[in-house]
Amino acid sequence: MFFYYMDLGWRSIKKTPYLSLLMVLAISIGIGITITTFNVYQQMNTNPAGERSTQLFAVQLMSQGKDTWPDINAQITYQDAMNLRQSTIPTRQIAMYKTGAAVQTGDANFQPMLENIRATDSDFFDLFSVPFIYGAPWDKSIDVDAAYQVVIDADLNQRLFKGENSVGRELYLNQMPYQVVGVIADWHQSPKYYDLNNGPFSDPESIYVPLSLAPIEEFESWGNNQSWNTENIRNYQEGLHSETHWLQYWVELESEQQVQDYQAWLQAYVKQQQGLGRFERDDARGEVSDVQAWLDFNKVVPEDNKILVGLSVLFLVVCLVNMLGLLLAKFLKRAPEVGVRRAIGASRLQIFAQYMIEVAMIGAAGGVFGLLWAWMALSLLTSRFKLGEALTQLDLSMWIFAPMIAIVSTLLAGMYPAWRICRTQPSIYLKSQ
Amino acid sequence: MLAMKNVSKIFKTDLVETHALRDFNLEVNEGEFVAVTGPSGSGKTTFLNIAGLLEGFTQGDYFLDGVNISNVSDNKSAAIRNEKIGFIFQGFNLISDLNLAENVEVPLRYRGFNAKERQRRVIEALEQVGLAARMKHLPSQLSGGQQQRVAIARALAGKPRFLLADEPTGNLDSLMARQVMALLENINQAGTTIIMVTHDGDLARRAQRNIQIVDGQVCDFSLYQGQDLSATKEAHQQVNIANKPVAV
Ligand SMILES: Nc1ncnc2c1ncn2[C@@H]1O[C@H](COP(=O)(O)OP(=O)(O)OP(=O)(O)O)[C@@H](O)[C@H]1O
Ligand SMILES: [Mg+2]
Repeated sequence: MFFYYMDLGWRSIKKTPYLSLLMVLAISIGIGITITTFNVYQQMNTNPAGERSTQLFAVQLMSQGKDTWPDINAQITYQDAMNLRQSTIPTRQIAMYKTGAAVQTGDANFQPMLENIRATDSDFFDLFSVPFIYGAPWDKSIDVDAAYQVVIDADLNQRLFKGENSVGRELYLNQMPYQVVGVIADWHQSPKYYDLNNGPFSDPESIYVPLSLAPIEEFESWGNNQSWNTENIRNYQEGLHSETHWLQYWVELESEQQVQDYQAWLQAYVKQQQGLGRFERDDARGEVSDVQAWLDFNKVVPEDNKILVGLSVLFLVVCLVNMLGLLLAKFLKRAPEVGVRRAIGASRLQIFAQYMIEVAMIGAAGGVFGLLWAWMALSLLTSRFKLGEALTQLDLSMWIFAPMIAIVSTLLAGMYPAWRICRTQPSIYLKSQ
Repeated sequence: MLAMKNVSKIFKTDLVETHALRDFNLEVNEGEFVAVTGPSGSGKTTFLNIAGLLEGFTQGDYFLDGVNISNVSDNKSAAIRNEKIGFIFQGFNLISDLNLAENVEVPLRYRGFNAKERQRRVIEALEQVGLAARMKHLPSQLSGGQQQRVAIARALAGKPRFLLADEPTGNLDSLMARQVMALLENINQAGTTIIMVTHDGDLARRAQRNIQIVDGQVCDFSLYQGQDLSATKEAHQQVNIANKPVAV
């Protein structure tokens, strides 16, 4: 019967092509807008850390002076980063910041190119579960005794070394030679939760260098910096000892006990610094946030976005109400035919099913077109607003989700018209033509 | 095969209550060809609709094949219509988007027959009414008489034991009407019980049994055979007076 109803539905759709097109258009625009906003929302709202989410903690310090902003900072100073390393409580801990340099190879014909770099500690890769294709992170000892070693990503490895195993080979950063010790796989966290200060949906850096090289090579911060103090910073070394916030700090704490111990340690650290004349505010403190709390703290999903999703759903409802009206008019016109079908043996349920299947077909078409609109809208957003691919990529789940909500919502809209028509009293329509 | 006992049907609208049938009693036996006549508005169509389970009734009992079907569910009555009853309407009521074969196929679809069985029966039914060659035509491409024959084929395709026809020849000229009547007679001879409402006295007389409905009640002529008809006439008039629609 299903295919019979499909056939009847298709004939009926063909019989009123403009009306059908109008309905498909209405539903598809509603679905398109809903999918677009929902897709953006979903991309923003994911927590890519997965099960590690509750073991990884961003560290925050309220280190600013009196009469400054009352909010705890998202980043910390270099001197605090060096001090926090003294704690032995975390299983792993890393400090890092975003920088960049001109990249060259030994090949004289190679055009130098500017690349983003992350200066960090060797535990970065284990902490964030970064997969390696070749080699491994640099040795832990290098985090203290700097060495010119790098980890690069697969894409850069392709561009520099044609994708071969490049462990042991050399590349140049700002004309200094570095030895490649590892190549990581394509690793794209969205949102980029480990560094939300420099664009939560920006691409990952292609090069990772030991943080211990920063004072030597004087890598400038390419990310956002904040400072509460009007210090006169004349050189890089003064910057390292300034009150400027520019590093991110993460710790791995595996148990509740470890978390409590570390929090206590942080409070003690704040006390100690207050004794030295820093951390002047009365509410000075240290905090740790797991990944989800960190995403929330940084408002990765803006409030506007939630409102937008709500509005677009409302818009979809308006489209559906319109559709309900059109369907009602269309179906009731067919009452005489339904009268005949009922007279020669169709039950109400069979008539209801027939019309619901017609509605579902319109819904499915609306879903497919809606998906197309969403895809076009997202491409437009990408090209117009440089939002970054991560944010505007149509999530795979949408390919199932879009037709599904299209069908379900049109079925909801079609329920009343189909119910009305299946209640047709056959005798009324049989008396005359 | 069919028995109605004291069936009443009252149509209620805002202004009036119409007693379309009142204390309606009728028995029809297997294989009969019953012609129903009567003045306009006397309740003939109402009777057929109730007999065909297209409409419910206000009071009384209706037995079909000995089973009381006064209160069957929609599903059940649809199945009974589909399997036991064939309908022929004055206005043909073919589905205009479907070609002849597809029209005839409709009841077979609801019956759940497979494609092969459906095709066999469609061809058989259309051959019976002499229109197999025009299977792929749309109803609009046929004359009225041909359309009615298709409607008969549709009613026959499910091999019902019981055919209800409401003025099947009402929209046809007398030649066409006679053809359709001959077809119905053949069908009846093959064993199908037929109840046919008609305004055409000549056609009615060709049926084996005639009943007249007057203001919602039956006057079975066969009961009066050999009786003094003047009494009947008087009875009619009295019924007429008693059964006028009353304002409420
Ligand atoms: N749906 C309805 N609502 C209200 N009254 C109705 C309805 N259907 C029929 N009637 C009334 O019931 C009575 C019987 O109608 P019915 O259609 O059975 O007459 P009929 O004998 O078939 O007449 P005709 O020969 O003109 O077709 C009429 O008075 C009619 O007005
Ligand atoms: Mg009538």
